[in-house]
Amino acid sequence: MVLLQRPHILLLLIDTHQFLQCWIAFGSANEEGQQQEEFSEELLVKPLPDHKLLAHFHFQSSAPPSTSNGCHHHLFPKAISQLVQKFRVKEMELSFTQGRWNYESWGGFDPISSSNAKPPGVELWAVFDVPQHHIDASWKNLTHTLSGLFCASINFLESTATYSTPEWSFPPASGNVRYGTFPCEAVCTENLTPWLRLLPCRDKAGIALLLDRPSLYRGFYHSQRLHLTSTESSSEGIDSGIILEQTLTVVLQPNSERAIEVHASEKHVQPSWSLSSIFGKQVSGRCVLAKSSSVYLLLDWGLVAELKFPNKENGKSAANGLTSENFWSNPSFELSVNPDRIFLEESSSHSKSLSILYMFQVEKYSESEPFDIGLMWKVPVAWLCQQTPLHASRFFMGSGNERGAIAISLKSTQFTEGFMSANSKDGSCELRVDVFQVVPWYVKVYFHSLRVFVDQQPRAVSDFIEKIHVSPSKDKMSPGVMEVVLKLPCRVNTAALTIEFDKGFLRIDEYPPDANQGFDIPSAIISFPNFHASMVFLEDDSLNRSPLLSKFQEKCPVMSYTEVLLVPLTTPDFSMPYNVSTIKCTVFALYFGSLLNVLQRRVAEEERFLKAKAAKKTGRLPLLLSKLSAKLRGRRREPLHSPPSSSSFINSKLVLKVILVAGLAVGWQYFFS
Amino acid sequence: METFINPKSLFHLLLLPCLLLYSSIAYNSSPVEAAMHTNNWAVLVCTSRFWFNYRHMANTLSLYRTVKRLGIPDERIILMLADDMACNTRNKYPAQVFNNENHRLNLYGDNVEVDYRGYEVTVENFLRVLTGRHETAVPRSKRLLSDEGSHILLYMTGHGGDEFLKFQDSEELQSHDLADAVKQMKEKHRFKELLIMVDTCQAATLFNQLQSPGVLAIGSSMKGENSYSHHLDSDVGVSVVDRFTYYTLAFFERLNIYDNASLSSLFSSYNPSLLMSTTYYRKDLYKRRLEEVPVTNFFGSVMETIHTDAAYKALSRRNSGRFEDEMSLDQSVHHIKRRMLIKVNDGDEIHDINPEGEEGASKCPWSTFRNKFQKAENVDSLLNYGLVAMIPLLVISTWLVQ
Repeated sequence: MVLLQRPHILLLLIDTHQFLQCWIAFGSANEEGQQQEEFSEELLVKPLPDHKLLAHFHFQSSAPPSTSNGCHHHLFPKAISQLVQKFRVKEMELSFTQGRWNYESWGGFDPISSSNAKPPGVELWAVFDVPQHHIDASWKNLTHTLSGLFCASINFLESTATYSTPEWSFPPASGNVRYGTFPCEAVCTENLTPWLRLLPCRDKAGIALLLDRPSLYRGFYHSQRLHLTSTESSSEGIDSGIILEQTLTVVLQPNSERAIEVHASEKHVQPSWSLSSIFGKQVSGRCVLAKSSSVYLLLDWGLVAELKFPNKENGKSAANGLTSENFWSNPSFELSVNPDRIFLEESSSHSKSLSILYMFQVEKYSESEPFDIGLMWKVPVAWLCQQTPLHASRFFMGSGNERGAIAISLKSTQFTEGFMSANSKDGSCELRVDVFQVVPWYVKVYFHSLRVFVDQQPRAVSDFIEKIHVSPSKDKMSPGVMEVVLKLPCRVNTAALTIEFDKGFLRIDEYPPDANQGFDIPSAIISFPNFHASMVFLEDDSLNRSPLLSKFQEKCPVMSYTEVLLVPLTTPDFSMPYNVSTIKCTVFALYFGSLLNVLQRRVAEEERFLKAKAAKKTGRLPLLLSKLSAKLRGRRREPLHSPPSSSSFINSKLVLKVILVAGLAVGWQYFFS
Repeated sequence: METFINPKSLFHLLLLPCLLLYSSIAYNSSPVEAAMHTNNWAVLVCTSRFWFNYRHMANTLSLYRTVKRLGIPDERIILMLADDMACNTRNKYPAQVFNNENHRLNLYGDNVEVDYRGYEVTVENFLRVLTGRHETAVPRSKRLLSDEGSHILLYMTGHGGDEFLKFQDSEELQSHDLADAVKQMKEKHRFKELLIMVDTCQAATLFNQLQSPGVLAIGSSMKGENSYSHHLDSDVGVSVVDRFTYYTLAFFERLNIYDNASLSSLFSSYNPSLLMSTTYYRKDLYKRRLEEVPVTNFFGSVMETIHTDAAYKALSRRNSGRFEDEMSLDQSVHHIKRRMLIKVNDGDEIHDINPEGEEGASKCPWSTFRNKFQKAENVDSLLNYGLVAMIPLLVISTWLVQ
């Protein structure tokens, strides 16, 4: 009987357990006053024009301000909350990136690219809520903690020569910001694993189940970001609330094998894909701790304009047709799963067309019926993503190992041309561009040599630069920082900033092991504060608003990063010092050796001769004895009485010498007196 | 041969055996030896940079996997990898590292915790880890927090030579540095026993300067010999594992955490003709017999358990010190005996002239004597006595002959 009953009890236990978990996640959210910790998981998939696919994972955990227990958390990662409390971090962003965001074909004017396209390597910035003189200490400790937490060498950012203090050009503008990048940091699974450990379900359930390491790292671009904001802690008793946003942005090539097969005939057809073909895994249900768990498919407005939607002509009245089938049964593509909801973009400045967002709820799926969306293209489509107002790139000029120049060039893009002309009603249209550039101290930049070229004509700096802030580098102490606000006319085609530099010398112990590879100059940040990338989607219920969509609605300035530059510095030929020292030593040895030999030869020879004679007479027995004793003792090889004997030998020699010298001195004295 | 002996040197000669005797007694009864083996740590170091040194990283990761499988948790493993091979652009298999052509086992699974990587793998950091001298900000995961009850496995692989090991192709760790660091660790009670395993060319020379007790060292090759890679993976494009590590892993793959294979069986499993080099192990600093030490003492985390009658015996055992190991099955009898000893000890404390803390020696000399005889190493001390007796004879004879 007991045996029979046991399964029931177990089931009951499991049931109550699940119920409890659900209760933690949802139940008490309805409670008045006291908010609960929340977690949500979302994935956004977006086809890119160059036959690639963008997957953007968005996990958000939030801990509301609480009075009672600062150190107890249900869902929120404790490591992060401790970090926030200890270092009093107001806002922080850490990103690990591999690859470079291709602004030309993947776009630069949407919320994803302007907040998730990051420079290669590690980028960390943090705003502290501590007095000015404590900030650097906090920063140092923070870098060490993060390096331990994420298995990365972020601790290299602790030295003052690697991080900087942006004054006003950096978005969270205030004096307590510290900004540092480490471009040559490798990013791999050991960085992703601790990042996933911050999620309540880790990668064991929910959308994170898709994160198969080999397929992720096979991608073209991979950026893992952690952004946290803590709300002001008004009084002492209340702990600050924290919102932790973890995003992972990957650009992948869907089933490349099949693309190669068909490529001859249907070259322009976008590759069809499904989640299981990209990641090799499927989502088997949601993470039970998550408040919401959904997958989105975003069709860019450029793409929507190309697709022949039946009610495209209706324009903005499409809201009526939202529930109808005409959005997902389209002649040009086919979805394998029917979307649960469809959102249309509310309005956009470009107004040509509207982006469409398909929403799939993962809640409905389970282990037996895993979730897997697929997209089948039937007709070739080609479109372009909306780009940044100006496309920024950076390069080196000059040659040789002594000096050179850095140039940042800005080119107008197709998209913005039309946009500019539409917007510039009055003649005095201006385009504001902020440039933030950090240069390591061994690249000695001469800020007076800053020159501006507009439409390939050298122009006066004061005409276009509205505001400039420069802090020159100090050797081995701090990097050079340049913040520039440019005001360019709207109809500008190209603009360029050049600045000259001398290459410095490092001490021999400051060179990295692979110095011949060159030294990285971190990316410059080009931001366009007048332009805001946001996507507002029509939502009927604002009750359970998705964090990802609300993130899209925020107005974030359009930002882009330039390439990392690799500057070759004069590296010492490490074999040279060895050559010099060995040759020197040989010469010295030859000279002094022969000199000493000549000086001392006679006496030594005589002595040795005498000793050899003496040894021949009596030497045998003691030698034998000592050998025997050495053998008996086994390990202690060296004969015991040899040190005293040798020391006595030295002693006698010394005595002889001393007597000789004394005799000489006496003789000298006698002779001269 | 110089035969002149002055009286002072004669005095030295006579003093020396006394010192030897003294030190042998002191050695046997040093209090540190009494510490129990309570935890296991592993420091695994790959010192080579650049893609063509893929095999060194594979070596280290294979050892990492083995010690993790045999029970050492991640927080007690310090893994140092000098370069990133898994996500290297030259790697055809991103986020994967293999140590065999058959690609059956991905060493770089989802759960690798690298503590020091890239430019952080320097001689300075390595010595800091060993000696525990860090900046205050350094997180716990990057520290070797071992104590006097720790068994530490130190595995190093890379390119080496006569008495040195190269770090990242730009620095060297010399045998003196290693010996000094180990000595410092010993002084700071940072380990009970230390196994140093090195897979480099001329690995044996790296141990020449070691002198701290409790250290066991094994190297892949003797002086003048090279350590070779095992095989080339034509898909990856480079050699994927070194011979010494390959055969070490072959030994461990057969084992699980419950196995009792001894260190001597590991050491004898190396076949010089397969390795194309001669393995060298230095055990003169290590007291226990290798036949009796299971490999899981270093490569796993298997503790020796001691059954006690009551809940808290730790205090009394501390006092009794070196009797701990000789506990027989008949425990109760021993306990009574020991308690008696301790009582006597307490009473006689003032009269105790022996500063070495050889409890029991003055009280019941017979049992101590018998105990000494029971131990294998005390045959050595007997030999020492004999030698000491011989030395005056030798000296006198030398003197007479002269």
